[in-house]
Parts: sequence; C-alpha cells; structure tokens
Amino acid sequence: MKQSDRSGRTVFLVLRAMRRPIIVLMVVYAASMLGWSLIPGPAEHGGEPLSLFHAFYFLTYTATTTGFGEIPYSFTDAQRVWSIISLYAGVLAWIYAAGTIIALINNPHFRAVAESRRFAKRVSRLNEPFVLLCGFGNTGSLLTRGLSNAGIPVAIIDTDPDRTQAVTLRDYRVAVHVLCADASLPDHLIEAGVESPLCQAVVALTGDEEINLKVAISARLLNPKASVIVRSTSDSYEEVLATLGGNTRIVDPFQTFARYLVGTIHTPKVYTLYNWLLGVPGSRLGAFPQLPQRHWILCGHGRMGRRLQERFAHFNVPTVFIDPSPWREAEVTDDTIAGPANQDILRQAKIEEAVGIVSATNNDSVNLSLLLNAKALNPNVFSVVRQNSFNNAVLFDAADADLVMQPSLVAARRITYLVTAPLLRNFFAHARQEQSEGSDFLDETIARLERTVGGERRPGLLSLHVSREATPALLAACAEGYDVTLHDILRDPRNRLTTLPCVPLVKRSEDRITVMPSTSDSLHADDEVLLCGTRQGLSLLSANLQNPYTLQYLISGRHPPQGHVFRWLSRRWLRAPAPVPPGQAG
Amino acid sequence: MNFEKATFGFLAIAALALNAGFVAGDPADPARHSLLVFFLMGVVNLVATGIKLGDRSHFGAMLLAGELVADLLLLIAAVIWTWAVHVGEAGLTPETMMTIVDLALGALVANAVVVGMVVGETLMLRR
Repeated sequence: MKQSDRSGRTVFLVLRAMRRPIIVLMVVYAASMLGWSLIPGPAEHGGEPLSLFHAFYFLTYTATTTGFGEIPYSFTDAQRVWSIISLYAGVLAWIYAAGTIIALINNPHFRAVAESRRFAKRVSRLNEPFVLLCGFGNTGSLLTRGLSNAGIPVAIIDTDPDRTQAVTLRDYRVAVHVLCADASLPDHLIEAGVESPLCQAVVALTGDEEINLKVAISARLLNPKASVIVRSTSDSYEEVLATLGGNTRIVDPFQTFARYLVGTIHTPKVYTLYNWLLGVPGSRLGAFPQLPQRHWILCGHGRMGRRLQERFAHFNVPTVFIDPSPWREAEVTDDTIAGPANQDILRQAKIEEAVGIVSATNNDSVNLSLLLNAKALNPNVFSVVRQNSFNNAVLFDAADADLVMQPSLVAARRITYLVTAPLLRNFFAHARQEQSEGSDFLDETIARLERTVGGERRPGLLSLHVSREATPALLAACAEGYDVTLHDILRDPRNRLTTLPCVPLVKRSEDRITVMPSTSDSLHADDEVLLCGTRQGLSLLSANLQNPYTLQYLISGRHPPQGHVFRWLSRRWLRAPAPVPPGQAG
Repeated sequence: MNFEKATFGFLAIAALALNAGFVAGDPADPARHSLLVFFLMGVVNLVATGIKLGDRSHFGAMLLAGELVADLLLLIAAVIWTWAVHVGEAGLTPETMMTIVDLALGALVANAVVVGMVVGETLMLRR
C-alpha cells in the first residue's frame, strides 16, 4: 500500500464523518438566508430586506453564539420572528457539527490511524541512518540509551501503551519516534521505515520469541541490506534464525555472559581488553585478574545455568552444581546438590576450597542470600551474581559482588556494539584465535594500545567508512589518484610529523578483513576502518577527514590555495602548477 | 607558514582596526568620523571577503559569512551617507551620522568575530 493512500485515509475519515453535519448546516443556512431576503426591513431606512451577505454574516456570528448585534439597522418585528426560528435551527446545527468532530477525535480507531500516520511521516523525514527497534522492555530501553549516546536515531514499535508513553517522557540526544502497535504485522514495520535505505538495523527485542522470529523474517524479506539482530535464548529459534542468511545476528545474553565469565578464568587478557575497549566502568589495561584453577560452584539450572555449564565443561573447569529449591530436603545426585540455599548446602559443595561461586537463578532473593552466605563462609571467593530486576540495583551494589550480571544490560551493550562498531567482532574473534594458538598478538596489541592511547582512561571507538556521506574529502582525494595511507590520516594537523593518539584495529577492504593493519596500507573507496584512540584524537581525526585542505596538507605537506583569488594567483604569479597526483605527472 | 592564511589574517585585523578607529568618538558629531577612514575600511573589508570566496571548508565558509555581514552593513551605511550628502536637502545631520555610526558598530562586531575565529584557529593549530 502506497504512502499516499494512507495520508488520504485520515482526511477521508474526517470528511466522511462530517458529511451529515455539513449538509444540515448548509440546509439551515440556505433556508435562513432565503427567508431574510424576502422579509422587508425597517421602513425608516427604505424597507429593503436584508442582503444575502448580511444575512450570512448575522447568522454566522449569532448561531455560533458569538452575538454582536442586529445589522445594519435594528430589526422589525417580522425580521425578529424569523431570527428566532433560524437561530434555534442554526445553533442546533452547529452543536451537531461540533459534537461529531469531538466524537471522531475521541474515536480510538481514528486516533490509531492518525498516530501511525504521524509516526510514518516523522520516520520518513529522518535523513541519517537509523535503527528500527521492536520491543521497549528493559533491554530495549537500555539499547535506546546506548544508541542515542552514539548519535543514532531510533524508531520504536511496542504493543504496551504504558511503555510507549515512557519513551515520550525520556530525554534522548537524538530523534526517537515510537508507535504503539503490534510489531508482527508487516504494515507497521513498513510504517516504521523498514524499507528505507537509511534503515541500518532491525532489532527484535519483544518478550515473545515467535514475534521476534516474525519480525526477523519480515525484515529480511523487506530490506535485504539491513542487518537483523534478534535476542533469543532458546535453541530451536536460534536454529531457524541462523538459516535466514544475510546479516542476521542472534544475541543470547546468557551465552555472551558465559563466554565473558569463562574469559576471566581462561583468557584474562582478552577479558581485560574487552572491558577496556567497551568502556566498562573501572576497567584498565595492564591489570589482569589471576584466578587460581580450583573448582567453581554453580547455582541455578535455568538457561543461564545451562550455558555456563557448557562453557565450563568446554574448558574443563571443575564445577559443583547446586539446585536451590527451598521445598525439598537436601540430597546429592551425581554432582548436583539440591536443597534450600543455606550454609549447609554450601559447605557440602566445599565452598571453603572453591575459587568462585556463580548465582544464576532467576530469583533475586535467592541470589542475594547465596551470595551473603558464601561470603560469610569464604570471604575471598570470587562471586558472580545475576541481577534480574532493575529495581534491586541498590541491593546488588551494597552486596559487593565481584561481577553482577544483568541479562538486559549484557544484551543491550552487545547489540549497541554490533550496530556502531561491527568490526569489533572480527577483532575479538581474531584475538581469541591468536590466544588459543599461543602467539604474542595480545601482548603486542595491549602494549601498543597502552603506549599510544593510555590504559587508564576510557578510550573512544570510531568506525570509519570511506564514503561520500561520512568522509567526502577523503573520498575525493582517493578518486583523484592520491595514495592515502592510514599513516597519512593519522597525522596530527598541528604538526604533520607526529601522529594522533589513535590505533587502527581492523580494516575491511572489499571483502578482506585485516586485524591490526599496518599503517602503510592505503585506503580506497568503500573501505571500513575501526579505530581506537583518545576522544580528542578521534575528533581531530574525523575533522581532518572532512576538510579537503587539511587533508591535502597531511598527505603532501603543502598548503593548497583555498580561495579563488589565491588559486588564480598561484597559477599566474608563482608559475607553480596545481598539485598533481603522482599517477598523472608527466 | 601558510601565505594565504597570513594574508587573510592581516586583512581581517586591518579591517577591525580601521573600523574601531572610525567608530570612536561622539556618534552624532559628523566632524569626528572621517570619510577617508570609512572608505579605507570598506575597501579592506571587500578585499578580505574576496580572498575567502571559493573556500570549500566549513571554517572558510564561516569566515566568509562574517565578512559578508560586515560588508552588508557597511554598504547600507555608505548608501545612507551618499544619499544624505548628495540627494537629500538637509545634508549630513547628526541623526544620519548616528545611524551610520550604529551600522559601522555592527560591522565592528562582525569583524571582531572574524578576527576571533582566526586567532582561535591559529592558537589551536600552533604551527
């Protein structure tokens, strides 16, 4: 259905509802004006009946209850009789019309149509890449906050009117538009701009996995180029989603956290680098947690518990399982201990010798009580606890666990990085592979980052795409035949012999991906580079890429003339030819 | 050293200096505001604007915008002055002089902004 059909729909509804009141009004006006033109006026002013125009004017201001007075002269009694009749009819006709309009505006169906029309228009007016989000729960709102901080507008669809209201009350840095509708209907997705070329990603975060699947399929069919990100924690849906192909990513917060947690034990360098790059508060390069390789206690057999079990088993970490169920007597089967979550259970699981304990149940009170008991028995145990409800944040802060896992936060953070810095995945995949092969890659990379960027403060990440919208000057320079290398764009505009404190992490050129590229690599159109550096350095870098004259200076060391006058002067007086790209000289 | 930037800096500061010189003194007294200074100020402003034409960067465009504001105000002042002296019957009255000086004061502000931007860029780039 085309957009013009839809815009006609609201207007059409209004006109159709107003048909009868308008006819009634027209009839009343016509009859009154006819009557006025037949009744003679006061004799002392010529006895002329009221003109049609004066009749219309009088009826308008009196029937709408404004009431100025009798024009042009005081009426005769015959005219006054006609006034009485036509005014009763007129006032009733206006009240009927006003009532119909009010009823129409209050009609929920009309309101829904008008709302969705307004939403679609606002989304179509966005002129930068945006993200379409279905579902504004905990994860959705955290994700919107993350995307808004990164400067990406979001179009949201949610079925709950309360959540929709909550969006309008929040304060975001970018345009955030919301529609209260069912996301599984493709019409609403189209209204939210899924077919637009500016739609960068479609994220399905509703609480219902069926709807998420429908949204993913619709998005893949309607916009093959956008990336689709779905939160899914059950294996069956993950298998179906994986067959969609294209740029479809599944985010499972439990799996993400399980990998992350096992990273603290087995790959502390990757874990530290990950924390530092993603800006987790309090993270620094250079401090690697060293956890001894004794056994872990894992409580909870839900989805998170199972994922952790898989990861621990993969790395052969000895684990003892506790299944906290307050209504059963304590019993031990295989290596699982079941029973109420108290100190006896923990002693049976040998808490005194354990290196860490993970409370992964979906009940905050159980998690907190396990944590307190564990700390009472073994104050040095590394405690990891799952926080389910956002409202209990105060309690979890006070309990002072070593790691608090919030599934919504984990998912939102991961999705934010999938959208803003997609090359980060390649970086970490490469890092993990190098780590498992035992190479020096991680040590060298961390040393270089510490030297260039500084390991204490939170770094910035910049995803550079050599394109006309993002870096016009750079694209023009490449098109003119200049060989622009990474080293060139990293030069400091204040002194081109030094470089800015930025490190290129990943470079994608056509389909080849290079991790930690050499700075003598040259850039071509449509390349993507992921850079890490200080905030100041990165903002200078992106400013350099927008200004063609600074870029020329960085590449060649000469200052090209900027205005027409000096360009003409440099050709005539100085007899110097315009700077020629190396490929075309001679 | 970038010759073009240095030239523009010279012209911008000269425009500001001449402007300040013109505006000083009692606004209503025609004897305190020299036509020669006004003329020099107009010429320097126009030349400075000309240098910045054709600069495709955002910073260059902002400098051009500031210069154009100053040019516009001075042009209006010049037209008023010419009209008062050659066309009108009353000649150069104190009220007319006040209008001219007000417009020149506006051009002074625009010139000050342009010079401020040039100074800022110089300090930031530190070359």
